[in-house]
Amino acid sequence: MDGQQFQDAPEAAVDELPVTEWETIEIELLIEGIYLAYGHDFRHYLRSSLRRRIRNRMYQDGAATVTELLGKVLHEPGYVNKLVNDFSIKVTEMFRDPSFFKAFRERAVPLLGKLPEIRIWHAGCSTGEEVYSMAILLQEEGLLDKAKIYATDMSEHAIEQAKAGKFPLKRMQTFTRNYMQAGGTKEFSAYYSTDRDYAIFNRSLAEHMMFAQHNLATDSTFNEFHVVLCRNVMIYFNPELQDRVHRLFHDSLTDDGILGLGSMEYLIAPWKQHYEELADGERLFVKKAINA
Amino acid sequence: MLRAIKFNIKTKIAIGYFLILVCLGASILAVTDRIEALQNEVETITSRDVEVHNLIASIQFDAISMETAQRGFIITGDSNYLEPYDKGKAQWESNYNSLYNYISDNPSTQKELEEIKLMIQEWISKAAEPTIAMKKEDRSADIIAFFQNDIGKRQMDSLRTKFESIGSQEVQSTRLHIVDLENKNRILTVGIYVLLLAATIISLMIVSFVSSSIVKTIKQVVRTITEIASSGGDLGTRIAVNTKDEIKELADATNQLLSSLEAQSWVQAKVAEVATMTQGINDLEILARTFLTKVAPMVNASYGVFYIRRGTGEQQRLEKLASYAGTGEDAGKVSFRMGEGLVGQCALEKRVFLLNHPKEQAPLITTGLVQLEPNSILMVPISYEDRLEAVIEFASIQSFTSQHLKLLEEIEKDFGIAVNNVAGRMEVERLLSESQVLTEELQMQQEEMRMTTEHLEEQYLVAEQKTKELEKAKEELEDYSEQLKKSSQYKTNFLANMSHELRTPLNSILILSQLLAENENRTLNDDEEGYANVIHTSGTDLLKLIDDILDLSKIEAGKVVLTVDEVNLTEIPELMKLTFNPIAEKREIAFTIDLAGDLPDVWHTDGQRLQQILKNLLSNAFKFTENGSVHLQIESAGDEMLAISVTDTGIGIPKDKQKLIFEAFQQVDGKTNRLYGGTGLGLSICSEFVRLLGGYIRLDSTVGEGSCFTIYLPELSQEKLDSIQLAIQESAAAAEQHAESAVSEEAEDEHEAFPADIHSGGSDFAGKKVLLVEDDARNVFALVRALENKKMQVTVAGNGRRCMEILQDNTDFDLVLMDIMMPLMDGYETMREIRKLSKLQEMPIIALTAKAMKSDRDKCLEAGASDYISKPLQMDQLFSLMRVWLTKQVGH
Repeated sequence: MDGQQFQDAPEAAVDELPVTEWETIEIELLIEGIYLAYGHDFRHYLRSSLRRRIRNRMYQDGAATVTELLGKVLHEPGYVNKLVNDFSIKVTEMFRDPSFFKAFRERAVPLLGKLPEIRIWHAGCSTGEEVYSMAILLQEEGLLDKAKIYATDMSEHAIEQAKAGKFPLKRMQTFTRNYMQAGGTKEFSAYYSTDRDYAIFNRSLAEHMMFAQHNLATDSTFNEFHVVLCRNVMIYFNPELQDRVHRLFHDSLTDDGILGLGSMEYLIAPWKQHYEELADGERLFVKKAINA
Repeated sequence: MLRAIKFNIKTKIAIGYFLILVCLGASILAVTDRIEALQNEVETITSRDVEVHNLIASIQFDAISMETAQRGFIITGDSNYLEPYDKGKAQWESNYNSLYNYISDNPSTQKELEEIKLMIQEWISKAAEPTIAMKKEDRSADIIAFFQNDIGKRQMDSLRTKFESIGSQEVQSTRLHIVDLENKNRILTVGIYVLLLAATIISLMIVSFVSSSIVKTIKQVVRTITEIASSGGDLGTRIAVNTKDEIKELADATNQLLSSLEAQSWVQAKVAEVATMTQGINDLEILARTFLTKVAPMVNASYGVFYIRRGTGEQQRLEKLASYAGTGEDAGKVSFRMGEGLVGQCALEKRVFLLNHPKEQAPLITTGLVQLEPNSILMVPISYEDRLEAVIEFASIQSFTSQHLKLLEEIEKDFGIAVNNVAGRMEVERLLSESQVLTEELQMQQEEMRMTTEHLEEQYLVAEQKTKELEKAKEELEDYSEQLKKSSQYKTNFLANMSHELRTPLNSILILSQLLAENENRTLNDDEEGYANVIHTSGTDLLKLIDDILDLSKIEAGKVVLTVDEVNLTEIPELMKLTFNPIAEKREIAFTIDLAGDLPDVWHTDGQRLQQILKNLLSNAFKFTENGSVHLQIESAGDEMLAISVTDTGIGIPKDKQKLIFEAFQQVDGKTNRLYGGTGLGLSICSEFVRLLGGYIRLDSTVGEGSCFTIYLPELSQEKLDSIQLAIQESAAAAEQHAESAVSEEAEDEHEAFPADIHSGGSDFAGKKVLLVEDDARNVFALVRALENKKMQVTVAGNGRRCMEILQDNTDFDLVLMDIMMPLMDGYETMREIRKLSKLQEMPIIALTAKAMKSDRDKCLEAGASDYISKPLQMDQLFSLMRVWLTKQVGH
């Protein structure tokens, strides 16, 4: 089989292997298998990304073919979690893209200030860095007391990490710089204490957060929100799923609700007309009132 | 009707001129007529009046000449005198008749003339004739009697009077004639002026009529054109002209031009409309839908489909992207291959397809009430840079006009660019997001790899810990040798330095023990002398050992300097014999040397080292040979190689140890050392020297039978030697670095007492070097105490300048705490200065700000601070923050 060559290939070359028809079929089967057997729905994920993750897993586990992985998924208890974990990319940082948070502070906060209560949905929160960032921002703007941040991710594991509210010290210098670039008004060090490896963020921030497992591909909305943040999540989805998620967000947002996307994400065509750009160049949008 | 006749400008002008000419002719005729009449008058006056006057004069003359002649005759009786009389008598009557005729128009004068006639006749009959007859009869008396009465004279007088009156009458009449003439003349002059005036007026009227009829229409045209121009091109206006001349033609032509312009501008306006509509759209589907919605009404299309090209090469397909008035999914085929159907053909040929009256079975255009069959179908390819981007199909109930086609043709040009742009933009967006995915995946992968590495490191550390524990259990010597083996270079360096240090005191011991052993003063007893000898002998052995170690370490450290000189090979046997013959004799071993005959006399190599090698090998051979022989053989090995072998009949070396014996401190086994003595370094030194000289060493040995060491040495030049030495030094230097790091790791491992520390990656404060820049003594005191409590090493600088001085000498700090308010050089300036130093770009600087103002913090960051914390300091916060900035970062 074609897969044989994977084993000998150095890791750097894994991505450059040609895409064969067989491999495409095998990947479809694997994705379908995972869905049928365990209900994890990756059917609408970007194939190019999944292929890379699968190839990587094959390389690490010395699997010759994708079908071999499917065998493991079906017959090796717990193996599916490995793949699911591979598929969920947990790359995030506090105040990621500082200019986004700066824009949020300058443009979105004034809109939120008038509300008696602010409900924020952070979809695809990963390990929670941005959730805490948002809480800090809201606290500095005096809005945290009336805010509730619902943070969800499809990965239970990530949710558990996010709940702990502690982040490795070895990332903290970057976070500090981001905080300052995002227009932080206080001292970043005032929000955390440390142990030998982690910066542990003040519990008072976490008091306003609710964490839950939620899958954008399968689950529906669960409340009405004034802000929906979903940054660098939809880049992994195909247009169909992106459309579904956008519908979900649109349904979940109040009139004049704010939608925040990742720096490389765009409102896809059918939804563009339902939003207005809030800040130039930043992915911050205001939902147009439906009857307007 | 006059209007119906076509008067062109030429006709109008001709008619004008003609009318003017007619006027002129009429006036000329009138004037000529008048002048002729005048001339007649003048002629009348001149000829008739003169004639009348002449006739009157003639008659008068006749009368007078008759009277004169009558008198003359009477007086003289001469009949000659009668001649004028007869002439006058004959003549006057004709004159009279002429005159009478002349003055026929004047009856009063005629009447007078008649009276004159009567008078003349009466004179003739009553006066003249009788007298003449009297004379002829000579009747003087009667004559006298007659003259006494003289009726003739009275008659003549009245006649004269009559003539006078008639003359004056005629003069009068002539004068009247002249006056009349003058009057007529005046009338004529006036008449001419009047005519001139009339002609002028008529001409002017004609001119004004003709010109106005021309100019009016021109002005109308001009006005309309100006209006069009000034109204910013309202091309809907048309020029209305009622005349039937060239202007009408001009107007018609202009109107035609306007119509075509209007059509053109309509096309342009629509093109512009489409162009502006496509701006700001960055989604193909929206673009397609907007396009159809906009363009379909322009071309009166009732139905439209937009097909976009997807894929490349053989895979190219046309996919439906949007439809206009389409009935959902079923409207239009979803996709075409290139060349498939007319749409595909249109794409392939890149030309417009227009179908009129297609006979399609299925009704296509659906309204609320009916379904209509289209009358005309149009397919337009959209391409960019000769590459097809899309195909648009329109269907219409009416036929497409040429203007529609023209419009689509124009739109097609720009729209291709728009489609390409949007597609490009979408592709860029897609690639950007794809790149983001890749980036994240890579980061993730990196993180995973880091985790793996950390995991491995952990395992490695645990394993090492275990090894170390095992090592502890081993014998000290073995442990020592193990250590040496593990870090031979460390040892080498250490020894190279230490040997010198050892030799100095050892030399003292040797000299003093020798002095003691000599016992010149006999102050020692024999036992004591023996002790002194032992001390000396042991010391000498030790010195030898140290020398060997020194040699070896020098070699390994690459510090040996070699010099190529000429070695006289024939001298070697002598030298060796001199050294080893005594030992051979003492140990009763045969020692033979064989020098091959084909050898050159002189060999280029380092002679001193060669001797050392040979001495080492020979002493080694003698050491392990208890009986038998030791043989030294020098021969040529060809290829500019010299082969020197030392053969003994000693204990031999087992096969598995043959490699080991060239390593330092190795003999066949631990016992050998004790049995035969020696340091075990000799062979190591040999092999190292041989290597330095560019040669190699070979060993053939059988246990119990003996060994044969053969060294092969090349002919050397100084350059060759230098290059060998350089290579060796480099490898030695590399090994040294490696050894050093190994050593420091080891040291750290020992320092870190708890395995837990290894796990955490060592973020503790202990040993961290902190530079505190602060002028307030109390703060300095408090901070230094707190930091030192955490086992940090604190250096204090009282101000910025001092800080810079410290950093000039030593930049080895893990972190700088920088107060802002300081004398001489404040914190901002100091930070800026520090960041100017290239070595200190990355050093964490924590600004201690007095105020909690955001502007101050921004100023700190601008000056180069990594983070800030405000005073009064919360120690917990400070330590947390310092932990962050003392932790080695990953990722960025």
